[in-house]
Amino acid sequence: MTVTVERGSAAGGKRHSGGAAHRPRRPGDSYALFLLPGALAFLAVVVVPFLMNTGVSFTDWQGVGGPEWSGLANYRELAGDEDFWASFRHSLFMVVAMAAVPTALGLVLAAALFDFVGKHFGGRVTAVLRACFYLPQVLPIAVAGIVWSWILAPENGSLNESLKAVGLGGWQQDWLGDPDLALYTVMAVMVWVQLGFPLVVFMAGLQRVDPALYEAAELDGAGWWRRFRHITLPQIRPEIHVVLLWCTIAALKVFGAVYVLTKGGPGGATDVPSYFSFTTFFEKTQVGYGAAISTVLTVLVLALALVGLKLQERTDA
Amino acid sequence: MSTARRRMTAVAAAALSGALLLTSCGGSDGGGGGDGRTLRLWHYEGPDSAMGVAWNAAIEEFERTHPGVEVEFEEKGFEQIRKTAPMVLNSSDAPDLMEYNKGNATAGLLSKQGLLTDLTPEVTARGWDKKIGAGVRTTSQYDTDGVMGSGKWYGVPNYAEYTMVFYNKDLFAEHGIAEPTTLAELTAAMDEFVEADITPLANAGAEYMAQQYLYQLALSKADRAWVNAYELYQGETDFHDAAWTYGARTFADWVEKGYISEKSTGTKSEDAGVSFIQGKAPMLFSGSWWYGRFQAENQFDWGTFPWPGTDLTLGSGGNLWVVPEGAKNKELAYDFIDITMSEKIQNLLGEKGGVPVAADPTAITDPRAKELIADFNTLSEKDGLAFYPDWPVPGFYDVLVSETQKLITGGSDPDAYLDAIGEAYEKDAPKR
Repeated sequence: MTVTVERGSAAGGKRHSGGAAHRPRRPGDSYALFLLPGALAFLAVVVVPFLMNTGVSFTDWQGVGGPEWSGLANYRELAGDEDFWASFRHSLFMVVAMAAVPTALGLVLAAALFDFVGKHFGGRVTAVLRACFYLPQVLPIAVAGIVWSWILAPENGSLNESLKAVGLGGWQQDWLGDPDLALYTVMAVMVWVQLGFPLVVFMAGLQRVDPALYEAAELDGAGWWRRFRHITLPQIRPEIHVVLLWCTIAALKVFGAVYVLTKGGPGGATDVPSYFSFTTFFEKTQVGYGAAISTVLTVLVLALALVGLKLQERTDA
Repeated sequence: MSTARRRMTAVAAAALSGALLLTSCGGSDGGGGGDGRTLRLWHYEGPDSAMGVAWNAAIEEFERTHPGVEVEFEEKGFEQIRKTAPMVLNSSDAPDLMEYNKGNATAGLLSKQGLLTDLTPEVTARGWDKKIGAGVRTTSQYDTDGVMGSGKWYGVPNYAEYTMVFYNKDLFAEHGIAEPTTLAELTAAMDEFVEADITPLANAGAEYMAQQYLYQLALSKADRAWVNAYELYQGETDFHDAAWTYGARTFADWVEKGYISEKSTGTKSEDAGVSFIQGKAPMLFSGSWWYGRFQAENQFDWGTFPWPGTDLTLGSGGNLWVVPEGAKNKELAYDFIDITMSEKIQNLLGEKGGVPVAADPTAITDPRAKELIADFNTLSEKDGLAFYPDWPVPGFYDVLVSETQKLITGGSDPDAYLDAIGEAYEKDAPKR
């Protein structure tokens, strides 16, 4: 016998007769209340400030006194601002460093740790290695940035000193001070920072793959690479989508590393939109213009997130 | 309950909750209350710095002379106050007295917006204007456009600052080089160090230091009218004139010759200071704010000399005591400023390595501190304080850092450098 319990009744909901108010309760109704605090907080700390920021972006304002309505002037200026577009170009480099490379590397490393290290050295060694890769995610970026700026210092920096010590003195560089090199150096640091996140997510994803698939493939004579391509990748596709989306958004918003390592320099070579917005706000006190930059950035991130989620839904369907 | 009413109720509940949430995030009364029993004071000087020691002594003196009045001191960071002051002063959380940066883009902007109290009546009544020299007071007064140099008093500086060459006497002696007194002797000394594979000047391209070298070079070919045109908009500034051109070309030349490291683009001022403290760099051109640190940490014999061959150098009155317009206990704030201007506190400031504006020179005993103050007095008497290059327009600091970095790396030549900074200046300087 099947017993059906109506959720509304179980929760003690009153039953009335007749009218639209007497429809049976849907399962989601009783959970709506629990969403209210989160929704209110979201409204207060995200929606309202974003709308206020958008409003400010249509004004000429120095942050104090009365803002003057300037319509679309800030957006028109933004469209022709070479520094702004340069900062967006740098963002694309950051997407490579914080999303593409860590995802690709994370996949290979996760598979290697799961398949090889786990089998030959045991779970404890795998866990230690995974923790080591994840450590940069735990470190505050301000701390990691300062340590990296010591490592990369042109004179007496440990990287240059190490190169010198092993007879590679000719490879010494001004890693963060050379405009042709600084962006790539920041990218390398960001790969280090970011790598642990996809690795951990992918390793968790690999736990739920049916081992029988691998065993069957092995029996059929498939090598590691074929198993990786035809089993691992398709099986953890949802995790790959989430990681790529998450990391791309993080890359577009990146601020702390640039602030600590280069302050957008040398000569604007590592400037990114969030830092550009920050300096426009606080250094130049062009609050209206800074608000326009951050509004564009927010819209872009939102659009990207929506497109990413839609694509993910379509692929998963 | 009907669906429509339920929605209405939900919206009302959401609005009420939102309002409560926002109220909980809002400011409190701030504790002053205007009862004359509490002085809320903010400053950002480190407790071991000359100013920090002096202000702590002033707090003790204030509490002694104002029984029953409590000083609520909050230590803030320089950046914290710089970036949040307008918002704080616009709110009900403004303190009664705070230290704030001087210049058009900071104190000038706030005074223009009516957020700072006009201190002119107090300045004259309490005689502070008699104690503060002409060069130092420039940053205290702002006109109705927020431009420094004239108008009402919106801030009071208790100390001054200026730049000089700090040099390692031991390292000079080791290489048989005498203290330079002319620019020719300075360049000859730098040649000697380069010959010995030592970069003579510590530099920080990622922060203020590099632009200050260049500005000092320009100042050596400039006069007061040039400075006033650039800083106070009292005339046209031509970024391709003899002084700016000399500054930019000489700076690029010095990088080329190895006087300044071409690898200093990404270096911060702390790194440059530390390289001097560690005895690696024989010279560092920077401000008196380093003095106390070097006095405490240098393990070698060291000294200072003014930049040779110039009447003008970077410097000004120090940061300002300002009284927010919304302060609740203004009278207490004025009393506190008065104590910091007293001879007792000023002498303590001088003794600890600061540059006081109203000390008794005979009361200072430390020989280096005496020399520091004597050099400042000489500079002040010849009207030699030429302010800082990043002051004229908001955001100019970042422009100067970025463009000077390009000059160091060879990413731009002196003419392109001058074009770039000229364009940024013209864009934001007030039209007069």
